[in-house]
Amino acid sequence: MNTALEIHDLTVAFDRKPVLWNIDLMIPQGQLVGVIGPNGAGKSTLIKAAMGILPLSSGYVRMFDKPLEDVRERISYVPQRESVDWDFPASVLDVVLMGRYAKLGLFKRPRKADKDVAMDCIKKVGMEGFINRQISQLSGGQQQRTFLARALAQQADLYFMDEPFAGVDAATEKAIVTLLREMTDQKKTVIVVHHDLQSVSQYFDWVVMLNTRLVAAGPTDTTFTAQNLEATYGGKLTLLTDVADLMHRENYPSREENIFKP
Amino acid sequence: MNSLVEFLSFTDPNVRYVAFGSVLLTASSAIVGSFTFLNKKSLVGDAIAHAVLPGICLGFLLAGTKNPVALIAGAFITGWISLVLVEFITTKTRIKEDTAIGLILSVFFGIGILMLTVIQKSGNAAQSGLDHFLFGKAAALTGNDLVTFGIVAIVLIAIVLVLFKEFSLLAFDKDYARSIGLPVKRIELILTSLIVLAVVIGIQAVGVVLMAAILITPAAAARFWTDKISVMFLLASLFGAISGLSGAFISYTAPAMPTGPWIVIVISTIAFISFFLAPRRGVISRFVRQANIRKTINDENVLKILYQLGEENQNFTIPRLPDEIISKRFYDTQVLVSILKRLHRHGYVDKNENRWALTEEGRNRAQRIVKIHRLWELYLTTYMHIAPDHVHEDADTIEHLLTPELEERLEQQLGYPKVDPHQSNIPYNN
Repeated sequence: MNTALEIHDLTVAFDRKPVLWNIDLMIPQGQLVGVIGPNGAGKSTLIKAAMGILPLSSGYVRMFDKPLEDVRERISYVPQRESVDWDFPASVLDVVLMGRYAKLGLFKRPRKADKDVAMDCIKKVGMEGFINRQISQLSGGQQQRTFLARALAQQADLYFMDEPFAGVDAATEKAIVTLLREMTDQKKTVIVVHHDLQSVSQYFDWVVMLNTRLVAAGPTDTTFTAQNLEATYGGKLTLLTDVADLMHRENYPSREENIFKP
Repeated sequence: MNSLVEFLSFTDPNVRYVAFGSVLLTASSAIVGSFTFLNKKSLVGDAIAHAVLPGICLGFLLAGTKNPVALIAGAFITGWISLVLVEFITTKTRIKEDTAIGLILSVFFGIGILMLTVIQKSGNAAQSGLDHFLFGKAAALTGNDLVTFGIVAIVLIAIVLVLFKEFSLLAFDKDYARSIGLPVKRIELILTSLIVLAVVIGIQAVGVVLMAAILITPAAAARFWTDKISVMFLLASLFGAISGLSGAFISYTAPAMPTGPWIVIVISTIAFISFFLAPRRGVISRFVRQANIRKTINDENVLKILYQLGEENQNFTIPRLPDEIISKRFYDTQVLVSILKRLHRHGYVDKNENRWALTEEGRNRAQRIVKIHRLWELYLTTYMHIAPDHVHEDADTIEHLLTPELEERLEQQLGYPKVDPHQSNIPYNN
């Protein structure tokens, strides 16, 4: 199997305080992957760090066996719905067109062909009735689908989605899962931050179980076990948390300088 | 009045310069300021505006004259330094951004006033007019100054047009912009430089003290009228231009008068009008919508009571006295009669002497309300396990609100039940 994502010894710190410790991870292509863990486990941080949105304290990330910069066009990111102000003066079409900006490059305006792609993606998520609707006039599920359409418009091979099911009704969730399934059937890889443990084994081929450190990662059948769940949600590593707090208070760097970097 | 005609005829070349210059400066400031507004960085504009004053004094001291290029360069430098300091303070100390802005704004402005006073006391003849930068003087926009400021304004507008797509994406969703590999840091740097430049040229017309108003207010006013970003920018620049033109007029007719305050009064008036009158987002429009909702609720409640009275003896068309309605639910008689009259006008009740009866249409509408009320009570008790004596108030609101589409889903999900939790019949059509 070919690798879609490889994370090697990744540590991420906010204000000196490590929120992810030494993550090692490998995800094969064509999988629907669920990233699960309790609140504050670093799920969003993991995918933001992978996308280069957050600085890494140590380690590296490779996608399709290349550094991110070389394959950025093949990667798409769906931020959390609450991370933006939906009162922004934009329509559904405007937002979905943003998915074409990476291909357009700087300065250029979206062309007719880009609009065609955008319309096509809007149809795929079933939002064709809302093309010119201002985005604050949409329901939570519709906003989520708009974000999804924007990601589709990037025509990527690897998708990172931060809680695409948050604030979404049951029918929309089902529609989104079906869509993600179609994507993985076309050998695309979809990595989803997920909250609802009930649906994990039903939705995902592969799980990443996270709680500030990697607890387990692998095929859902063998990895999503009671024992791993216990380790992810049950055992808080109090000592680890206290050390992280100390680093924050004392302003300690999370890595000494001048160490070997690959 | 004569002066207005004289001004608007643009026969005096001086008037042409001043009017054209003011419009260009305020419109370009409004355009760049719209991004400050969308980025929710309105206070930053104010900090820059105050921080350019020491730069202007510095530019003057170094050049020895009021050379516009020297003044712009000086202002640009201190404007930028103030931003870097705000950034430094917020990231390196525990001081929050609003405090840092307040701190930097007052320190820079204080230094600026100090330098200005020293220059004025120095007896240097060239300094006269430097104090116009405090409150603005559009009438001073002539000759060389106008050419320099005008070029900067046109460059500003051109850069905004070229990078419009990138600036908007950054304002809406910065993380996404990073994820697609946009050079976010560099684009932000360009935008910040544009804001500093917009302030630097805008102060000629408005002055440092009130500059923030021309950056932010046009965008805030424009936002009330539209949900389209392109229309918002056009309106903002139009509002900016109108205020700039009126400022120029004041400056022309009353040369002793500072321009800035007048520009601010005009743009604020536009903002207030937008605040009240804009369709949908304006206060009056919201108020009217609320009043309409209250009217609908009142109407439907009275129809509902007439229906419930009819249920008691299985005849919905018996004419009722207002007192019979009041016995079910308290109304002031006057208010009740006015509601009944409105229902009569709309064809939902018939009037006979002092008695009122549901028409066929009135009965249908009332029946739908009663049906939704009882269905919702049943939904709450079945699906949300709420006690039957707690569901009535909820249903009272929902009954007026539910769309036909949701009504149908509710019926289907519950399977067209016959009775509600209180064993009252749920009425369906046919």
